[in-house]
Amino acid sequence: MGYDPANPMADRITDIGPPHYSKFHPPVVAKNKGKWLWHEITQPGVLVHKAESGDECWTVRVGAARLISTELIYEMCDIADAHCDGFLRFTTRNNVEFMVDDKAKVQPLLDDLASRGNKFPVGGTGAGVTNIVHTQGWVHCHTPATDASGVVKAVMDELFDYFTSMKLPAQVRIALACCLNMCGAVHASDIAILGVHRKPPMIDHSRITGVCELPLAISACPLGAVKPAKATVDGKEIKTVKVNNERCMFCGNCYTMCPAMPLADPDGDGIAILVGGKVSNARSAPKFSKLVIPFLPNTPPRWPETVAAVKNILETYAGDAKKYERIGEWAERIGWEKFFEKCNIPFTIKSVDDYRLAYDTWRTTTQFKYTNAIK
Amino acid sequence: MPTIEHNGNSYNCDEDGFLLNGMDDMNDDWIDYVKGVEGIAELTDEHHKVIDALREYYKKNGIAPMVRILSKTTGFPLKRIYELFPSGPGKGACKMAGLPKPTGCV
Ligand code: HEM
Ligand code: HEM
Ligand code: SF4
Ligand code: SF4
Repeated sequence: MGYDPANPMADRITDIGPPHYSKFHPPVVAKNKGKWLWHEITQPGVLVHKAESGDECWTVRVGAARLISTELIYEMCDIADAHCDGFLRFTTRNNVEFMVDDKAKVQPLLDDLASRGNKFPVGGTGAGVTNIVHTQGWVHCHTPATDASGVVKAVMDELFDYFTSMKLPAQVRIALACCLNMCGAVHASDIAILGVHRKPPMIDHSRITGVCELPLAISACPLGAVKPAKATVDGKEIKTVKVNNERCMFCGNCYTMCPAMPLADPDGDGIAILVGGKVSNARSAPKFSKLVIPFLPNTPPRWPETVAAVKNILETYAGDAKKYERIGEWAERIGWEKFFEKCNIPFTIKSVDDYRLAYDTWRTTTQFKYTNAIK
Repeated sequence: MPTIEHNGNSYNCDEDGFLLNGMDDMNDDWIDYVKGVEGIAELTDEHHKVIDALREYYKKNGIAPMVRILSKTTGFPLKRIYELFPSGPGKGACKMAGLPKPTGCV
């Protein structure tokens, strides 16, 4: 029966979880699961996996915008129907992978993809720049300080050549989050683009009583800048909060908890760049990314300042790092003062940690290099 | 600002049907109205126990209780609270009790 709003609990199905992934394995994957011997990247965007049985699984990886229409999904299904027995998969970085069980089927698949304009760019493998893990931005969230889809498109356009090639010292993971909730991977990516505010929240005393649980707004603040207060609204004294602007560092947590404390601002808001994070344990331990550019303006629709900053860091790294070295490993080997000098990024006080455990990030040694970064 | 009319009352609400002026505007007709939209057939003593617990805690502390505290004070496990309020303690019970809409990454 169709859903009956007068009787919402009738015929209700719940707690069934996702369908088991094994239902969607291509036959060659189902057969050889757990028995793979080796793999190889034969060209940018194309991988082959060899199984103990001698079977081969050829994978073609294509970029995707993550935010996509059902029309595009149908087109992906058509491609999968035509070449892959109706099977496909999405990666953890929101690329799409088409798999075939025979080398002879690869070229027809690549030709088909190429015939569809720029919709299905092949790449994202090996030591290149793969898809950008990103967030909602102005498309759907209420707490962003910048957009997600727009900035990502502008950056990927400029770096497109690195998506379709494998000529960097190591893979470079770029991530974007539109506020410092950091949904996704900005806290641990080679290059991270992060939306930031620069102005304290405004308090709407006329709304706050009905829409806020005041103790939550107060405890949301990492710096204790929000305090209980009283205000007069329509001649009536009400309970509200006040913000010590000298203490506020514009994180926006109080707004997440309290809708009457908005802080988004077209001139104040913009983008910070962090670099040097990684998640793998290969060679060095995982690292958090670190702030190197405190502010770039929001300049839709193409964000030229942000695009230029990302490209500059990427290409300076590409020209200087050793093989297999991630951006964070490179920066730590040459010293962060050299990172700033080589990338020609002005070092500002905003990069000096001043939050609680800050002491460990300062230099407690006489070992350093003279650079032109600090004059 | 959207308003909802019910049994001759007029309530200021947000787009999710939560009272914008909070508990001051809440009365028995509001409970009757939410009962309709939340798919609750008959209001029992157990429903009232949850609503009273929420209102009492909110008046005293200025926040809605955490789910574990609501279970402890009412004696109802979470499963029972969902049986009483199919939309759950936040969207169902807090709305009926006139508490502010839950915030954060919900
Ligand atoms: C203001 C707080 C937040 C809001 C409003 C918010 C909103 C959203 C929305 C609307 C989606 C899309 C859901 C969908 O596609 O159906 C989403 C996805 C997601 N969010 Fe959040 N979120 C918030 C905080 C967070 C935080 C703090 C994290 C993690 C630390 C997080 C992690 C994620 C992840 C991993 C996804 C899935 C992304 C994907 O698979 O494409 N979110 N969020
Ligand atoms: C100490 C804590 C954490 C560390 C060291 C860490 C590390 C990382 C790293 C290095 C990546 C990058 C992956 C890549 O380069 O491909 C990543 C991705 C990600 N992290 Fe975390 N993370 C931590 C906590 C969290 C938490 C608490 C959440 C969510 C609540 C989260 C959600 C994610 C998501 C959604 C991604 C994207 C994965 C993808 O590439 O699709 N992380 N994390
Ligand atoms: S990073 Fe912030 S603004 Fe962006 S989707 Fe997550 S919570 Fe919303
Ligand atoms: S924006 Fe952040 S630092 Fe500023 S008052 Fe709100 S919670 Fe505190």
